[in-house]
This record gives sequence, C-alpha cells and structure tokens, in this order.
Amino acid sequence: MATDAIGGETPTLFLRKATGLVRGWSVRDSMIYAVLATNVVTLGIYEFSFQSFIPKGQLLTSILISGVWVSFLVIAYAGLIVTIPRAGGDYVWQSRILGSGLGFVMAATGWWFILWLWAPIYGNILSVELFQPLWATLGDPSGAAWFATHTGIFVVSVITIVLAGLLVSLGMAGYARIQKWCFYGGLVGFAVVVVLLLVNNHATFVSSFNQEAHKIFGVNGAYAVTQAGAAKSGYTSPVFGFSPLGASMLLIPMMMFYLLWPNWGSTLYGEIRGASDFKRVFAGMFSGLWITVALSVVFLLVVAKTFGNDFYNNSNALYWSAYYGGKVAPAIPIWPYPVMFAGWLVHNTAFQVVLILLMALWFIGWVGTLFLSSTRVIFAAAFDRVLPDRAAEVSEKRKVPFYSLVLMLAPAVIVSAVYAYNLTFQTYTLDATLVIAVTYLFSAIAVVLLPWLKPDLWRASPASRIKILGVPVVPVAGLVTIGLLGYNLYEWLTNSAYGVNNHDSLYFMGGMYVLAIVVYVVARLVRSRQGIDLSLINKEIPVE
Amino acid sequence: MRVFFATDIHGSEVCWRKFLNAAAFYKADLVVLGGDVTGKVMVPVVAHNGYWQVVVRGETIRMETKAELEEVERKIRNSGSYPAVVTPDELQALSAEEGAVDRRFSAEMIRSLDRWLDMADGKLDGGKIPCILNGGNDDIWEIDDVIEASPCVSFGEGKALDLDGFHLVSMGWTNPTPWDTFREAPEEQLKEKIDAVVSQIPDMERAIFNFHAPPYGTGLDEAPALDDTLRPMHGGAVMKPVGSTAVRDAINSYQPMLSVHGHIHESRGVKRMGRTLAINPGSVYGDGVLQGAVLELDAKKGKVTKYLLVNG
Repeated sequence: MATDAIGGETPTLFLRKATGLVRGWSVRDSMIYAVLATNVVTLGIYEFSFQSFIPKGQLLTSILISGVWVSFLVIAYAGLIVTIPRAGGDYVWQSRILGSGLGFVMAATGWWFILWLWAPIYGNILSVELFQPLWATLGDPSGAAWFATHTGIFVVSVITIVLAGLLVSLGMAGYARIQKWCFYGGLVGFAVVVVLLLVNNHATFVSSFNQEAHKIFGVNGAYAVTQAGAAKSGYTSPVFGFSPLGASMLLIPMMMFYLLWPNWGSTLYGEIRGASDFKRVFAGMFSGLWITVALSVVFLLVVAKTFGNDFYNNSNALYWSAYYGGKVAPAIPIWPYPVMFAGWLVHNTAFQVVLILLMALWFIGWVGTLFLSSTRVIFAAAFDRVLPDRAAEVSEKRKVPFYSLVLMLAPAVIVSAVYAYNLTFQTYTLDATLVIAVTYLFSAIAVVLLPWLKPDLWRASPASRIKILGVPVVPVAGLVTIGLLGYNLYEWLTNSAYGVNNHDSLYFMGGMYVLAIVVYVVARLVRSRQGIDLSLINKEIPVE
Repeated sequence: MRVFFATDIHGSEVCWRKFLNAAAFYKADLVVLGGDVTGKVMVPVVAHNGYWQVVVRGETIRMETKAELEEVERKIRNSGSYPAVVTPDELQALSAEEGAVDRRFSAEMIRSLDRWLDMADGKLDGGKIPCILNGGNDDIWEIDDVIEASPCVSFGEGKALDLDGFHLVSMGWTNPTPWDTFREAPEEQLKEKIDAVVSQIPDMERAIFNFHAPPYGTGLDEAPALDDTLRPMHGGAVMKPVGSTAVRDAINSYQPMLSVHGHIHESRGVKRMGRTLAINPGSVYGDGVLQGAVLELDAKKGKVTKYLLVNG
C-alpha cells in the first residue's frame, strides 16, 4: 500500500493511494473558461453599444464598479464550490441548503428555460459580429443587411442552436480543446485590434472610415453623417471619463449582461479538500473576471483615442435608434462592429476578413456553453424523478442525449422565431440576465445561511477558514452579492430603460417560474400516486 | 421488498451511522453497502505533555482535555479520515521507517471497521435486518475476514445470497485505474470472475448484480478526464467513461432485474439496459451526506417497480 505524507518534515496527514485522488486542476484552465464566459467581444462589446439607453452613463465607471462588485459574487461562489463540489452547481447547493422544490424551480428557470432566450441572443450576436460584417467586407452589403432582417436573425439563431446542439452531442472533450485554441486565437485578434488603434490616429481613422464606408456601402462622408445623425436623433455622448457616478451606476444592470458569469461552469472534483482549494477556485474565476475587465478598459481606451469616444457612442446610439423605429438612418446600415471599423484602417479586404474571422473565435469558443448547463439540469431532475426517466436517456450508438436536446432545442427555436419577428420581444434581452440573477440570488442566500442551516458542512469546508479579523469572508461576500443582485433586480424591474419591466416581459419571465412550479408540483403528485415520495430526496437520515 | 443501496463511504463514520439508520428511515427490508468502505486519509494527532495537537485542513488545533480530543477525533472520523494518536517520536518513526505508515494505516482501518460492526449489531437488531457489505477496489484485503466474522452483516464477495427469493451476487473488483488499487483486474479476468459468480444464480429474472465497477459507457461511469500527472484536464470540464466493459457485457447478456454500482462518485445516475435497471447512486461521503438508492422490488413480476435516488 503506497502512501504519501503531507505536511513537510512533520507530516500532518498520510494519504494512501486510492481511486480519485487527483491533483488540483490548473488555475489557468478555469481562468480561460471565466474569460470566455464573461466574453468581452461577444457579450461586452455588444452590450457597450446600448450605452445610449442610459445616455449620461460612463461605460468605464460602470465596468470597474461592476468588476469590484462581482468579485464578491466570485468569493461567494468559490465558497459554495469548495463546500459542496458538485457539477450540478446552483441546483445541488440550493436543493441541499434551501430545499428541493426551490432548487428545482431556480435551476429549471435559470439554467434551462431562460437558455431558450439566450439562443436567439447568441444568434443575434453571431449575426452582427460575423455574418453582417463578413458579407459587407466581401462586397455584398445587401446580403449583410439581410442578416439583420427578421428572417436573417431567425436563420442565424437556428444555425446557432444547431451548432450548440451539435457540440453538446459531440461531447466536451474535443470542444474543450477547440475552446482553448479559440481563446488564444481570439486574444491574438484582440491584440491586432488594439495595435491597429494604437498606431493610427484619429485623423487616419476618419479618413479610412469614410473611404471604406464609401467603398462598401456607397456612403459619402460617413463619419460626419454619423455625428450629425446622432445629434439629430437627440443623443449626446458623455465626454470620456468617469463621471457622473449616478448615471454610470445605472449602466451596471447592463454590464451584468457580460460580467455576471465568471462562475459559469466552475466545478471542482476531488475529495481531499484543503485550504488551497478555495484559493485555486477563487483565483481562476477572479483572474478571469479581471482579465475581462482589463480587456474592456483597454478596448474603450483605444477606441476613445482613435475612433473618438463621441463617435463610438454616436454610431451605436444612431444604429439602435433607427433599429427601434427612429427616423434618422445611420450612415452604416449594419451594426457598427468596432472590429470591422478597426479593420478598415488597413485597406485590404483579405486582412479585414481574416480579422473578423479571428475575432469570431470568441464566439466559437463560447457558443458550446449554450446548452451544456441545460443538459446537466435536465439529467439531474430526471435522476431525481422530477422529470420522466426518458429525459436522461442517451442513445446507445452516438451517445446523444436525444430527449434533453429536444427539451432544449424545440422551445429555443420557437423563442428564436418570436425574438426574430417581434421587435418588442428583442427589448427583453436583459430578461436573460435577470432570470439567472434570481437563481444566483438564492445561491447567495444559501451561502449566507449555510453556517446556520448546515453547520457541520460549513465547519468542514475550507471556506469556513477564510477569515478577515476573525469574520468569515464567504458569508459576508454572500451578503454583498445579495446587495449586487438586489440592486440590479430593483433597477431592472423599476426602470424602463432596460426594456424588461413591461407587462409582456414580466409575463414571459413569470411564465417560466409558473412552468417550473407546475412541473415540480405535477411531478410530486404523479410520483406520489406511483408510491414514490419525492420529499425523501434531500431528507437527511438521522445520525444517532 | 424494499432495498436501500449505498456505496463508497470511504471511512466516513457519519455516513456509516446513517447507513445503519437507513433501514428504519426508508423502511427498507434489506440494506446493501456496495464497497469502498475504508478511508483514504490518516491524520496524526500528536500527544504532547499535557495536550494534543492536530492539523486539520491547514488549521492547527490544540486540545487540552480528553473530551476535546474525542470531539476532534469524532470530526476527523466523520470526514472519512482516521485519527491516529501518536507521540512525536512515533510520528517521526512513521515517516522514517519503511512500511510503518502502511502498517498503522491498516491497523486503524481494521480498528475502525471493528467499531463500526459493533455499532451495526445494535442498530440492525442483531442481524434481523439483513445487511450486505462488500469490499471495493480501494479496500485492503484484511477487511474481508473482519466482515465475514461479523454476526450481523454478510460479506457478499463472490457469493450468491438468497434474499427472500431474490439472488444477489457481489464483486468488488474493477477494471484497472491509474492508482493501481487492491482489487483491480484486466477486463478478461473480470469477465471470468463475473461468470463464476453469476453461474450460482438459479433464476436471472430475480437476480441482482452488486458490482462495484459501473458498466462502461452508460453514463454511470463518467469521471473527469485526467492527464498523465493525474490532473483534471480542461479545468475538469471534460468527463470520460471509465467503467468496465466486462460488467457492461455481463448485464447485456445476463439481463438481471437490477444492477447496482459505485466506484465513480461523480456519476450518480440511472440507466435502463434492456430489462435491467442499472444504478450508481454516487457518493459525497466527504460532505457527510449518504447518497443512496431506495428500490422497490416485486418478486412476482421479477422487476424493480420503484426507485428513488436520495441524499440522506
């Protein structure tokens, strides 16, 4: 029997060789996933374009404050991950700490149903960051514009759904390798954009922009047209900087669209948990979050230097104003993708195409995550007998989770159709963030209550030993996280600027919660009739 | 008949206590523990002059009284580790002397198992509630005789036990792992072992396989993919099947009513394989939670009529 002594000269424990004793995974790997989840290109740059909805808000300020605030969420989640290191994440934590019914409702809504809405959002981002600029660059502006039509958005959403579904079917092994290459390739693309904007000045950009816009779209003086158009539509960009704080705070609920996900996909396996596990889990998510924040800041700085902050905001404001029925048409008829504009600094179509493709790696490395969480929740719920057993079936030959894919893909296609053909529905984009934030909120509540509800589990956790001045850090971070999520939920639900507090949006979200509750109640009744008591699932066996 | 099945408690005393109470809690007629009973960690508690000292998960704990010592020992046992009270000289000798740790480890495992079986005697009503225990690939050989000698539990390995008309066969061996543990064998040898034990079953309609290794590629055997240094690949996001093909083939060809497994803690799940219901309840023994399966068996129909995976 081989054994390892741990603790240096005076061993503090002896470990015999046994199954499952693995080394901790690399912080770098989890950092990469956190960077891809809080995706500065696909989610960040897309969301920056909505700055005009809070016209006085400063992106820079809101990003930095969000980064600090979300860091507490990272601490809270690191605490949960090392305390109950399970792949089921929120579902397992909430079920175990707060109760099965709540766990199911929060997991089903936040990690399954709302992903139906993320499908067309992913699709729309693929449209504006790949298909539209690519077609335009290749000299087919009307083809590019088609991708922005109802049918165009729907078709790209279906492409996205099929792509994500295929990746789920193929398994994570190959995709994880692809993700890593996408991360490094995407970083190279990002660096190219930054260098282009650093080495060129504003005057060069204006002339390049006018030249390429004329060449591709046949627009004369596109830069001046954009500036004038924004003014005519009633928008004035704030001067680049940090103030005012109040308006910038109102941008935070928008920044959650990309900064709220450093914990996405964070799991921990391994049974011999030590104090270092917390640091490792925390470091992966925290460094991922702050790399994204740093990339965001760098991006906004170089954009302000070369595009001009006012032009960047004006082009975005004008595009969305026209998209939602404004009378002033933008000079560039497709979404003002900053990467495409940066590429225009080099008057070479091949280079521009390669740059767009390189930056599309940020999408490819990210899209596979769309349905992975849903599969886990569906499987877990089926094993808990809340869903029919078939939901967890996997085909023998190809290992395809056929029924769970149907439960994810079919509603996603329907929601994509509604999203594509209904402009009002598109304003519910932040519903996608809100519903997950509610799920997070209950996990934050769980981590705050953990020391009282499960004292033994808490005492055994490495997280309980992370203290400052004798105060355990993790529950306190949970409280700050509740503050973060509470603030965002309040703003989303009371401020119409975010487009989610209207009746239909609330019905849409409320419907998801009702659906989850109905599924759970029906499951309880049906199983009860079958003589299966679902209340036993998480009922603790007495020890004595 | 109602059966409670759990597995892979790896020395966790709180899980063992819960296992003993599971029969009453779930109103089970039979309880089965599927293997990997013993722990993986031994924690030296150093006895100094007038106090004891131990490091638990990086935290140094000093105990002044016997009551404090017992409380810390209890917590160590509950987490699946073995407290070993040693003098500073003994600790040094453990580190310096070849094989000393192994000997002490084995002694602590056996001592702990003895205590557990004593507890079982009281809880299982002196053997009136049938209780089957088996070894798993991580269990040392010495436990077999200890379990075999117990008056209130039955050792399952290699036997076909008749349980009120159902026939339960057990095998704690697994296909090879990267850790080169005790009960590992190549797939061909596993097949021979399975065929040998299954040949004792008179009626496959009412057969229960209690094989520690889960069937390969069924979703009951998904573990994090590891690199050559045993580090999870891609941040632990990539899982791969690591079960036994011999177990899978045996289930597919013999088609027992039920097949229960363990070994892969992360792979809690249920799989229909023809008429066989295959289950791995998984294990989270480190959390002090006893994962298990409550199974309702119908002797007349020869099938599992109900099942529920529980976190007790």
